[in-house]
Order: sequence, then structure tokens, then C-alpha cells
Amino acid sequence: MGTVRPSEDTSERRFVERLQKRDEHAFNELVESYGPRVYRLVFRMLGRSTEAEDMAQEVFVQVFKSIGQFREESKLGTWIYRIAVNLCKNRSKYLARRHNEAQDALDAILESEPLYQAHGVTSGDVSRPDQMVEGFQIEIIVRDCIARLDPDFREALVLRDVENLSYEDITEITGLPEGTVKSRIHRARALLKQLVEHALGEKIA
Amino acid sequence: MSPMDDERKDGLNEEAAERRLKDLLREAVDPGPDQPVDMLGSVQRKLRERSGGKFYADRWSTTRYAPVSLFFVTSLLMLIAMAFLFLLLYPVSGRPHPVRNTPVPVQVVPPE
Repeated sequence: MGTVRPSEDTSERRFVERLQKRDEHAFNELVESYGPRVYRLVFRMLGRSTEAEDMAQEVFVQVFKSIGQFREESKLGTWIYRIAVNLCKNRSKYLARRHNEAQDALDAILESEPLYQAHGVTSGDVSRPDQMVEGFQIEIIVRDCIARLDPDFREALVLRDVENLSYEDITEITGLPEGTVKSRIHRARALLKQLVEHALGEKIA
Repeated sequence: MSPMDDERKDGLNEEAAERRLKDLLREAVDPGPDQPVDMLGSVQRKLRERSGGKFYADRWSTTRYAPVSLFFVTSLLMLIAMAFLFLLLYPVSGRPHPVRNTPVPVQVVPPE
């Protein structure tokens, strides 16, 4: 999310004012500019495209409803990320309560492209199809391990190791002290490593 | 190999494992090139439904940007249509026929 220059700060403030006046065209601009980022974050948190699409839309509905409460204590992007992360965590917890985790993993596998369609390659294009199959299986295993992580750990890992956000941004998004964020990331990495190594039956190197 | 070398080797292995784990994590959660086709349209529809038609109620507000050029063109077309009608009807409108009304002297009727 980076540092904001004064001019950017002013233009963001004007933009937020338009949003708070419920300017529909300003809101269109917001969805256009933040939509892809929010969708990617939500997909990474939930792991399923259909679920992610619906959740990303919900994020913007929530932003529209709550923009009046935005006090500009953080950047607009950070605030939107916070809403997205909270909605995803609630959704994950709801799904976990309903014991849908196993079904989700299965759906995710079924939803994935068939092997012969994967990233536009055919078996004839691949010099080592065995390596491709192996890579594909590892991806499924890792995805399954991520789905088994506690939503709080998954959130920490996605924000830091996938979205590459700073500790400061993660602190603002999660509302946790920096020390807690760091220790949570550390524990999440260790847990994921342990789960993946257990599933693969070998050490990651 | 000295214990220090062993420690350094362990540290390097640890770093490599961490990097590999991050790569695996990124690959596993990569959404790929597919993005939602019409997120804006879906969000507008949800807001329209949930606000009972208060927001995004008309076609103008659901466009991405204010259709200024469309307003301008519509106004221009209306002006052209009015000018055309004026020019069409003016020749057949004619002029009022002059009427000469000579004032009649007032006759005062005496009371009976």
C-alpha cells in the first residue's frame, strides 16, 4: 500500500467525500479500481472462485453501507482490506462450523481445470509430464493444507507472504499489535510447513 | 566439518525451506488470469435490490462515468428539433387580418 504523497492524500480525501455523499459514479470508480485487488485477496483467503466472486461483491456492498463511518485514520485501501479480511474470516468460520471443509477441498479440486487444459499446455508440449503431474498434486496438497489452517493464521500468511504487505499495514488491517502479528505469522509458517511436510511425507527443501 | 559450519548449513537449509514454502503458498493461492466478468454490474444490482431501488435506480447512474456527452448531445438535438419546427411552421402561421373598428359615438339615453 506504500507511502501516500500529499497530493494523493488530498485527492483521496476528495474522493472519500464524494463516496460519503453517496455519489454513485465515485463508487463505480472505486469498484473499478479496487475490484481486482479485492477479488484476488478474497480468493486467496477462501480458495474458491465462485465463493470469492460473491464475497468480493459483498465487500463493496459493505463499503457502500459503511463509508460514512470511515474516519480517514487509515488509508482507504487499508480500510477496504480490513472489511474484506473480516468478511472472509467470518465466512471461513461459518463454513468450518458447518463442517464444509472437506466438501470445499473436493470442490476446489473439481473446480480446477482438467490436467490437459492446465495453463494452455497439452501433454505433447511438456517434456516431463511426470513433473507436471507432481507439481499439480503438490499445489492441491498445499491448497488443502492452507484450507486446514485457522482463519487467523491464514489471514496472517496471505497478507504477509502473498500480498507482501508491511507489518504496519497488517497491524492496521487486523487491529492487532505488531508483536502479535509477527508471532502469528511465524507460527502460521511453522504450522503450514508442518502440515505440508506431513502431507508430502518429506521435508521441504 | 566444524559445529559452526553445521550451524551455518542448517541456517541456509532453513532459509531455503522458507523460500520454497512461500513459493508453494503463492502458487497454491494464485487466482490465475480469470477475473470476475462483471463485478461492477453485480455490485450495482445488489445495492439496488438492498436499498429498495434508492441507489442505482436509473440507467444513467449505472454507467461507469457521468454521461456528460450524452446530456450535451440530447440538448443539442432538442434545440435542432425546435428550430426545425419553428422554421417549418413560421411560413404557414400568417398574420392577423387588420380590422378597422371606427368608434361609435356614445349615445346617452335619458332616464324615463
